[in-house]
Amino acid sequence: MNRPLKLGFMPLDDAAGLIVAKALGYFADEGLDVELSREASWATIRDKVAVGALDGAHMLAPMVLAQSLGIGSEASAMIAPLALATDGAAITISTRLGLGPIPSGIGLADLVAQRRNMDASLLTFGVVFPFSTHNYLLRLWVAQAGLDPDRDVRIVVAPPPRMAELLAGGVIEGFCAGEPWSAVAVNAGVGVVAARAAAIAPGAPDKVFGVTRAWAEANPQILQALLRAMLRGLAWADAPANRKALAALLAEPQNVGVASDAIAAGLRHVVFHRGGVTRPDRTQATWLLDQMRRWGQLPSDADVQAALAVYAPEMHDQAAALA
Amino acid sequence: MRVLVIDPDSARAALVAEGLAGVDPLEVRHRPVYDEAEALAFAPDVVVVATESPDRDTIDSLRDASLANPRPVVMFVDRSEPGLAEAAVRAGVAAYVVDGLAPGRVRGVLEVAMSRFQLMNQLRKDLDKAKADLVSRKTIERAKALLMKERGLEEADAYKLLRKLSMDTGRPLGAVAADLLAFAGVLKGDAS
Repeated sequence: MNRPLKLGFMPLDDAAGLIVAKALGYFADEGLDVELSREASWATIRDKVAVGALDGAHMLAPMVLAQSLGIGSEASAMIAPLALATDGAAITISTRLGLGPIPSGIGLADLVAQRRNMDASLLTFGVVFPFSTHNYLLRLWVAQAGLDPDRDVRIVVAPPPRMAELLAGGVIEGFCAGEPWSAVAVNAGVGVVAARAAAIAPGAPDKVFGVTRAWAEANPQILQALLRAMLRGLAWADAPANRKALAALLAEPQNVGVASDAIAAGLRHVVFHRGGVTRPDRTQATWLLDQMRRWGQLPSDADVQAALAVYAPEMHDQAAALA
Repeated sequence: MRVLVIDPDSARAALVAEGLAGVDPLEVRHRPVYDEAEALAFAPDVVVVATESPDRDTIDSLRDASLANPRPVVMFVDRSEPGLAEAAVRAGVAAYVVDGLAPGRVRGVLEVAMSRFQLMNQLRKDLDKAKADLVSRKTIERAKALLMKERGLEEADAYKLLRKLSMDTGRPLGAVAADLLAFAGVLKGDAS
């Protein structure tokens, strides 16, 4: 391949696998010429990967499944051979609500009842995308409080970099997004973390590295080399000794572009490599499909087997054996 | 035509207005970021959003979620990504792409996007209706079989009875059939 490989990412802590592999020369060690492209929205990443404007990208795991099933976009067969992080998401609520952490959501039920009695508007929560672990975590948390996420609250899609501003402006009362965006809202004094992903659904799948099936089949060696480089990047990112340097790297304007203290605060919760979290296990795809079904996103005639085949643990294991 | 342009770059937004010159009536509103309340009040026929705008996910989700008032979304691609517009349109990616460099093509792309969106929307509605009809027909078949078994009726008489219930209550046949099956379940102790 003569032209450089182009990989897309969104400004989030869990894009570290790609950013570290590029910055520390792990892609170059594998003989790969990789160009990273920071993107502004998940839908654009999805479309660019589908049409080949990006060779691969940091993607929302459920978005990749939805895309393969043709839900929410034209169908495009995808492969997810690597999980990029887990536990990096959190639900943050406005300080104006006067609540502290509410991992079980019980305080939330009281608040919803109070607002109903006062005829106040529904509590509005931002999530990053309809097909996102963040949407499902928020719904699970609301449901844990005995509430109906479709009736008792309002859920809207908003871009993570604008969440703090929307919270401050009273457009939303809370949001579920990946770090550093909770840390940014907390540091700005507008938000409090109500619950972390690890408390709602420990180890829930979040971001993956995604490529089209056609690309994976046309470039098996390049894909393996990419996976080896990113596995090295994830191992480096996970080492406690490297966390400070990682925060500084992610803080750079072309990467996440947020103050390094907010990045560092958010990074405390993200798991990149330990405990085998890099493996895209099919049980995770099953969990995601269950969430999609529960919340009415999965048509009854959806090809579940084809969706499960998106997750490619074999490709991961082959790369991990040599990484 | 009412066009809402979400683009941090105002020079490029002006290209949309330029490309639509001659369309009458025409109202092009440009905003650097998306504001829900404002968009609802403006009620655009089409939304044009820059690929580098973080608001695209919000706008995309509204297109699918607000079934009451769905609207097509057109993507605005930067000149630094040659070929993306053509590739996206060829692949049938749900968002349409305008090449920011060619104001002369803006009108054509917007019109194609709007008509294709309407076609897709109609297809989706037809499909939903076909699915609902199928479910309803199956329910009616089951209710008919239940009546034939429990009341010893011929098929034609079972159907007549269902139709009478439907007319007496002023409710669709499928709904009456579903009620009948649900009550039969309760009587048999299926539900508690």
